[in-house]
Amino acid sequence: MHIFPYLIIAAPIIACAFYKWEIRAAGIAAGVADVILSVMIYFQSPFHGVFYVDFTSWIFLVMVSSIYLASTIYSLNYMKDIQVRGISEKTYYALLNLFSASMFFTLLMNNYGFMWVGIEATTICSALLIIGEKSDVSLEAAWRYIILVSAGVAFAFISIILIYYQFHTLNVYDIIHTNPAGGLLERIIVAIALIGFGTKTGVFPVHTWLPDAHSEAPAPVSAMFSGVLLPVALYVLYRIYQIDPFPLLYTWFAVISIAVSSLFLAYQRNYKRMFAYSTMENMNMALLGFAMGGVGVIGALLLLITHSFAKSGAFFSSGNIMKSTGKKNIDEIGGLWKGMPWTSTSLVFSSMAASGAPPFGVFIGEFFILSALAGQNIIQFSIVIFFVMTAFIGVNYNISSMVFRGSSENSEPGWLMTGTAIACAAISLLIGIFLLGGYVNALV
Amino acid sequence: MNAIENIVFLSAALATVSGFYIQAQEYIRSMVRGQFIQSILIAATIFVLAYAESSIDLVVLGLLVLVLRGYLITELLERRIPGKGSDLREKEIGIASHLLLDLVFIMIGTFIIYSLVFSGINFSIAGNISGGTILVFPLALFFQGLFLIGSRNTTFSQITGYIEEENSLVLFAIFLIPVPLIIEASVFLDVLALVVISSIVVLEKFTHNPLEELRG
Repeated sequence: MHIFPYLIIAAPIIACAFYKWEIRAAGIAAGVADVILSVMIYFQSPFHGVFYVDFTSWIFLVMVSSIYLASTIYSLNYMKDIQVRGISEKTYYALLNLFSASMFFTLLMNNYGFMWVGIEATTICSALLIIGEKSDVSLEAAWRYIILVSAGVAFAFISIILIYYQFHTLNVYDIIHTNPAGGLLERIIVAIALIGFGTKTGVFPVHTWLPDAHSEAPAPVSAMFSGVLLPVALYVLYRIYQIDPFPLLYTWFAVISIAVSSLFLAYQRNYKRMFAYSTMENMNMALLGFAMGGVGVIGALLLLITHSFAKSGAFFSSGNIMKSTGKKNIDEIGGLWKGMPWTSTSLVFSSMAASGAPPFGVFIGEFFILSALAGQNIIQFSIVIFFVMTAFIGVNYNISSMVFRGSSENSEPGWLMTGTAIACAAISLLIGIFLLGGYVNALV
Repeated sequence: MNAIENIVFLSAALATVSGFYIQAQEYIRSMVRGQFIQSILIAATIFVLAYAESSIDLVVLGLLVLVLRGYLITELLERRIPGKGSDLREKEIGIASHLLLDLVFIMIGTFIIYSLVFSGINFSIAGNISGGTILVFPLALFFQGLFLIGSRNTTFSQITGYIEEENSLVLFAIFLIPVPLIIEASVFLDVLALVVISSIVVLEKFTHNPLEELRG
């Protein structure tokens, strides 16, 4: 029996038992334990039974545990002096732990039905986190998140019922390894899942909750949403896609979503909303990679793991800026470089990483995906290249103006918040350098 | 068509009609009670099928619907209705126009999905009921739930719309193939937890309108 999956899911739940005492410390301990266990589970993988762990799910486990730990650490200072709370600080940490546990559960289960339950559980655990900083707008964003995502994921349950109807089992490993030969029903299952789980992944046109929730949630929660929640939903979508790959449908939805998110991103005035649309663009790029198969899947995994650190760094930096300036609009902020050099560094690095600048890992991931796409569909390739460039310019132009234009008197919000943001940005850079080093070595 | 099939068709049709009843309500309490009636109808359908198939799993499922959807969720929502609950209503609702639009939306949605997705597949419904036409009812109910979410702006009506959607999935599953009970039970608990979370939002925000900060 494999004990690690049980421990990974149990650690954050056990941390909740310390609600009355030191739930913050317990959360960090659970985060550290989960990082260690997630790394160690690699040596037992691949295995399947109650749980299903292979290289793909291992990458996702490492992502979730790392960002869970980073967000818990960042929250220590961020959540301390929130003026108007929608939930108490202890409840915040309890929900953060349960939110992580539900993501681990989704990633580990070897059953499509339980994966669906896990995805729904992530909504339940995370909805109230959005009102960590309570306002009329955050309440509205939380409600939109609850109702839109739940309605969409409910639709996805039809695909789960159809899977059971067709295969008389919901065992993920068994189904994807039986290699069903592309019947109509399999196609329908895969198509319905795209709309259903696509709601949580950020696929156009069912993405509308995404910018609202990301922009109004506290920074560490936005980091969890962007860095790991959307990828977890994408993981479930990928597992269903593996039943009967339907690249034509998935690639076109991904390409259109990339185009729409890049256009929306370009005219955002709120920097967190801009990052939210950037996340949508990245998720759809990863979806494109998964849909292409082969080297595209490798590209998608590289993109996702680097993106999780990069976008967490970006949202943590945004949280630092919000704490120091109290402003949300790009136009109202300038000259961060003078008063907040460390936050500026993490913000610039994270933005570059998330938008796919070399040598960050997202660039390498996008390179793999685009090279796979170029060989298969030149029209889609041209559209994606154009809009990836648009997104790159949009994000980096706005961030440059916030950091380098004008001057300001703001100061860093504290070493813990700044350090976490810097660490995430640095990890995204290190992944890229490590990968490029390996690639160059392989060529030599 | 035998007696069991007739009863199942009738109760499924009535569950869909209860969706129209909910759509036609202005008063929040009536809407919540409409959801109660719908859950009872669905539980009744499950019990009939349980009898026809001598299935203990379906009996448990019916009881779950009865207790969780019929009783607990209704009770939870009714308690959250602010102020003088029975007087609370949604204003500026054109019931006739909403019903008409609802009908058009359901017909188009159900027709498209059924003809595109389900008509080409030879389903055997619940063992002894042949043909897939009965799936029209859960599909219609699903679109009713969606329409209720989209057309109303109070938290209560949107929660009710979501529960309608979930009810339609229960119907859909029992007609097509009941999924393992442990998964169905987890789904029920998920929905219950979501309603609990939603009821917290109800206390803070009763209506939902477009906000300038959330445009674009």
